[in-house]
Amino acid sequence: MKSPSTLEDLISALRCLPGVGPKSAQRMAYHLLQYDRAGAERLGLAMGRALQSIRRCARCNTFTEAELCQLCSSAKRDASQLCVVEAPADQLMMEQTLAYSGLYFVLMGRLSPLDGIGPREIGLDVLQRRVSDGLVKEVIVATNFTNEGEATAHYIGEMLKARGIRVSRIARGIPVGGELEYVDSGTLAQALIERRSV
Amino acid sequence: MMHNFAGWAMTDRQRAQTEQAYVLHSYPYRETSLLLETFTQPYGRITMVARGARRPRSALRGVLLSFQPLSLGWFGKGEVRTLSRAEWHGGHPLLQGEALLCGFYLNELLLRLLPREDPHEVLFDHYRQALMALARSDASAVVLRGFEKALLSELGYAMTLDRDGDTGNSLDPAATYTYDPERGPVRILTDGSEVSAEPLLQGKVLLDIARDDYRDPLTLVQAKALMRVLINHRLDDQPLRSRRIFRELLAL
Repeated sequence: MKSPSTLEDLISALRCLPGVGPKSAQRMAYHLLQYDRAGAERLGLAMGRALQSIRRCARCNTFTEAELCQLCSSAKRDASQLCVVEAPADQLMMEQTLAYSGLYFVLMGRLSPLDGIGPREIGLDVLQRRVSDGLVKEVIVATNFTNEGEATAHYIGEMLKARGIRVSRIARGIPVGGELEYVDSGTLAQALIERRSV
Repeated sequence: MMHNFAGWAMTDRQRAQTEQAYVLHSYPYRETSLLLETFTQPYGRITMVARGARRPRSALRGVLLSFQPLSLGWFGKGEVRTLSRAEWHGGHPLLQGEALLCGFYLNELLLRLLPREDPHEVLFDHYRQALMALARSDASAVVLRGFEKALLSELGYAMTLDRDGDTGNSLDPAATYTYDPERGPVRILTDGSEVSAEPLLQGKVLLDIARDDYRDPLTLVQAKALMRVLINHRLDDQPLRSRRIFRELLAL
């Protein structure tokens, strides 16, 4: 049996979602058409509206509907500190700590030489322009502690230090409340290498 | 009885023991899994899927990192095996800074030049030594040149570094040569006609490379040019991503 081509279009469009293969896409399409036409309409409208109104914040590169995101336009934030994160989800985690009151820059990625993602793809030139606004005194690099995140942190450091900006990296080691007996050996080994004097 | 015996042999083939290995690269796979390109000591490059490795609380999260000596166990026999266990081995610090970029370059070379499931124990050892040297922050150029030479030789393209590829005469340290990937060093007659050849190498440089002696700065410069030509030749002149990105980073 051959499906109508608009249905095929829908199924192949759903496959752009992460983790959705041909089978799941088919199930979603049939579900929407058969049981939840109102939901499908809402989804279509929301998608269209989001695509139209959501863009990147001119200062921190995160998603926003205005020219500047809420955080960047807040007068309560400390403009002398800029925290660099890989993704909006990371920014959200940093905010939940309630330990940081500065501003952010969201890379929307990380350096990954094997995937062909270099400084241009993650907008390091945009970051450099952002940092030279005369207000930023310290850049805190909070990229992930993966090899890619570490490489990103290193080159951001090199780039900004050469321009006289103070750059720091968030610390890594034993988690708060962590007991050595239950910590994985890789973390413990690195914590030993990066020990600090007390 | 016979049947039983055959059954055992089958499971043996399917379930490998835990082996020393490195992760060369990983890609997200399905909703919560990772597809790993690994370099194992006894079997060479093997592709494995690490099920659930991207779940928030997965114990594999901090383990399946590149450049770290690991013990990996897997089963299955298709093109993609299934990872059954992974343990961190340790022994050297994580790569830092520029050494990380060198590590990515080594991994890209292995991913591009090493066929899958082709055992390369000697090369595995060279790779381990190279990573250890990079982690100790030894001079990265020397480490890379040594690894490139070992890689070419393990892949069956060992370099001729002691005699002229055309005449078979021993190299003259003072003479100028170029290097043909198929023939080896070719002497350039200094009448000015053929000087456009690439790379240009001093005889002494070739002899230095043969002995892995990189104390002379000229050797480092010319060895880099030579290796680039030879590796590009083996890659059919398809550019390396890590090389482009390294160039872009230097320009920051």
